[in-house]
Formats: sequence, structure tokens, C-alpha cells
Amino acid sequence: MGRDVVDLGKKDADEVNEEDRDRLDLVRDRFRLSVISICESQARKNGMDIAEIVVACISDLAFNMSEQLAKDLELFSQHAGRKTVNMEDVILTAHRNEGLAAMLRTISLELKGKEPQAERKRKKTSRDEDTCILE
Amino acid sequence: METPPAFDSEVINAIFKNVWIKSSKEKKDEVDVIEVGASGTSKRNRLITAKPDALKLSCQLLQEFVTEAVQRSADIVEDEGGSKIEATHLERTLPQLLLDF
Repeated sequence: MGRDVVDLGKKDADEVNEEDRDRLDLVRDRFRLSVISICESQARKNGMDIAEIVVACISDLAFNMSEQLAKDLELFSQHAGRKTVNMEDVILTAHRNEGLAAMLRTISLELKGKEPQAERKRKKTSRDEDTCILE
Repeated sequence: METPPAFDSEVINAIFKNVWIKSSKEKKDEVDVIEVGASGTSKRNRLITAKPDALKLSCQLLQEFVTEAVQRSADIVEDEGGSKIEATHLERTLPQLLLDF
């Protein structure tokens, strides 16, 4: 404390923080736009109108949820000893909701573009591989 | 049929990055207390990245959350015979919705 180096570092950090905040606001706005279009299209499917405050509320919820998601994904990938987040980590965040996890798993298979059978086989053998390593 | 609206991977990536940068800074501060003079490169090395398909899947997860929120509220409105989703409808669906995600 009280050293010049520390003070300079702090000033830099403050400037960066302001830039970061502007950038985050921009991101938040773009996020909100996506939420608005999703909400309105879903309401239209039901032949209903949706109050603006409801959309704003859902947007805030979803934003907080995405930040929480980021924290979870970081922890999960670190726990696995990785520095990149992969699809398994995302599926793991939904482990409390079996239906949701299953849905994400199907989408992940589609994204991979592989046949589901090959994936299942790989998963079954992965346990054997683990025991092999242990031996 | 128009393509259904969805989240942009780029936006989600920016949100994730922001959280990760924040957490890596906190970790760096903790390290600095013990060991002064941690280099900037090690911080950058420690920063986590996401695969593009993992980001797409996260977009899907968030999209599902938003559609579920609207759909559950819409179901209540339908039961009441209304035609507009109001805050009270969302309020009633919230506890279960937040437990489910």
C-alpha cells in the first residue's frame, strides 16, 4: 500500500473498469433485444400480448442466470482439469432437471453431427477406460 | 415460417468472458497477497475459454428458460381466460421456474 506502482495500477484499473462497464451495458442491451424477440414470438404463438414489464423482468432474470451459468461452467471445466468449456459442462449445469438435460444432450448430439449410437458407445466404454487407467 | 429468434453466441460469450475476467482478477489479487509480482501472462493463461458449440448450447439453455417463463405465464392467463400476460402471472410461475433451472 502507498507504493507508486500500486497507485498507477489502480488508475489503469479504474479506466479499464469504465470501458468494461460501457461494453457490458452494450452487451446487456443486445441480450435484452434477443429476450424481447423470443418473448414476443412465444406470446404470439399463444395468441397473447405480453406486458413490457414482464419482458424486462424475464430479461433481468435470464441475464443473472447467464452470469451464474458462467460461474458454474468455469468451476466444472476447472474441476475436470480443463481450460476450455465444452458441451458436457453445459449439460451438467442442467443436471437438476432431467428433461432439460436430456433436451440439451439431444441438441449437443445434433451440434456434434455424429450419430447418437457412436456417442452412446463411447460413453459406455469411457468407464472401462477409466478403470484401465486405474489399473 | 420465419426462423425462430434466438440468442447470439457472441453476446453470450461476452457475458461469460466478463464474469471470467472478474473471477480471474479476484484470484490474481489473492495470489498477490501471498506472492508479489505475478506476471500478466500467467493471468491470461489462466483465463477460461468456451468452445463454440458449448456457447451454442448455452444459448439454447437460456432460450429455453425464456420461452418456459413466457409459456408458463401464458398457461395461467389461458386458465383465467385473459389475453395479456401481466406481472402477476409471471410472479405466480416464478418459484417453480427458478427451481427448475
